[in-house]
Amino acid sequence: MSNAHRNYLKKSKIRTIITHILRIGLLIAMIAGWELIAHYKIVDPFIISSPSRMVKVIVTLQQSGELFNHIKASFIETVAGFLIATAVGTLFAIILWWNTLLKDIMEPYIITLNSLPKIALGPIIIVWMGIGKPAIIFMAVLICVIITIISMLSGFMTVDKEKIMLLRSMHANKFQIMTKLIFPANIPNLISVLKINVGLSWVGSIMGEYLSSREGLGYLIVYGSQVFQLDLVMASTVILCVLAGGMYAIVSILEKIIRKKFR
Amino acid sequence: MTLLELKKVNFSYHSKEAETVAIKDLSFTVNTGEFVGIIGPSGCGKTTLLNLLAGIYAPASGEILLRGKKVSEADSKIGLMPQRDQLFPWRNIESNILLGPELSGKKKKQSREYAHYLLSKYGLGDFIKKYPSELSGGMRQRAALIRTLVLHPDILLLDEPFSALDFQTRINVCNDVYSIIKQEKKTAILVSHDISECISLCDKIIVLSKRPATVISEINVNLDSNLSPLQKRECKNFSEYFKTIWKLLEDKNEQCTSELSQKK
Repeated sequence: MSNAHRNYLKKSKIRTIITHILRIGLLIAMIAGWELIAHYKIVDPFIISSPSRMVKVIVTLQQSGELFNHIKASFIETVAGFLIATAVGTLFAIILWWNTLLKDIMEPYIITLNSLPKIALGPIIIVWMGIGKPAIIFMAVLICVIITIISMLSGFMTVDKEKIMLLRSMHANKFQIMTKLIFPANIPNLISVLKINVGLSWVGSIMGEYLSSREGLGYLIVYGSQVFQLDLVMASTVILCVLAGGMYAIVSILEKIIRKKFR
Repeated sequence: MTLLELKKVNFSYHSKEAETVAIKDLSFTVNTGEFVGIIGPSGCGKTTLLNLLAGIYAPASGEILLRGKKVSEADSKIGLMPQRDQLFPWRNIESNILLGPELSGKKKKQSREYAHYLLSKYGLGDFIKKYPSELSGGMRQRAALIRTLVLHPDILLLDEPFSALDFQTRINVCNDVYSIIKQEKKTAILVSHDISECISLCDKIIVLSKRPATVISEINVNLDSNLSPLQKRECKNFSEYFKTIWKLLEDKNEQCTSELSQKK
């Protein structure tokens, strides 16, 4: 190894270490700053809460056993919404790819649904499905499913025509073209849809909980703001951050594994 | 012996704006063991012709017969080698090559043995389990050819198979493909825009007109078939053939332009 290369490696290693230190340092600084501002009443802690107060709230919730139930409720709703939306959306995309007449018929409806703010349908969903998990999951599905259909379908349509021609020259039928070519070629596309859906399914489940629920992080946030318990609101928000980040990390790991195959 | 026969084939595309006649009264024959080149100006309906020959499209009128049977009917044994190798990046070389047998769902074991035989014969034996991205452009092209050969095709259809390669690789791959096809005693049709390539590979060249494509001329190339395509390029007659074909294509183009100016 040449000296220049050794130097280069050393530099890039130092850079990585600095990035990590500063990243964690920023977090600590934010927490400390927040705590100090609240402690010296520069801003009223009643309004902005403080890290120590949040920890207290979390500990109390934990001791009463409520914390885990709330997290579980939101998590189940989100994951269910995420999985159902991805599966149903992909299935619809396959159907529309299969039948171009149906695709042409459905196009304006899908576009309209896509631009409609799904939250506007919230009250209708509650009237139809009642208060509870099914309504919230439905909300999450509704928010994710349209964009899933659109992204997957446009991915299906852009598969290399020459590859399709090759398969057809081998007498492949439509089902085989789908399973051997179109779908596998769109796995990277599916991964980016999953990444979008991680965020959107949380939007759906928290929105759903705002509208109607008796448990979950969204419920805690709304409840906390109604009784002016900002500690509870902030604490729930932070937990939400951690959960959403964790779910995104899982999808990223999945992506790394799959991308290796799809260079 | 006549293997493939086109009889007054016509084909048009329909869109809301217009009907485009892509191929008009196209007739030619290909004999067993021949290497036939089809050359024409760009936009001469090359892709259409390939789709017709591969049996993907059916002609609007006329017939395409392989051993006296229509190619648009199932089970025609025509192997297509596309412009770029089109190996699937998520499959390793072996499973890419066995794609055809996998689709028809028969003779799995025989095909696998044949594939392995061909792969090691043509220098890809060590790459059976590798992914396409780990192979060079030339190797990928060879793999694509083997993928076609595994199907035991009666005719190979080569769709400008070298056009995506850089010049040096192109010459080498051209030699490779030629020798593989000759060794396996296959009949092949090469569709190309490259006059030199056609002359160096083919026994017979069919020159097509601009759209609607029809046969302008058929030229028999009499170069020593024991020479490699690269060596053929050095033959005395090579440049004569080149000039002849160049002139044919050019004359036809001029005619078209003069027709256009008359219309104006």
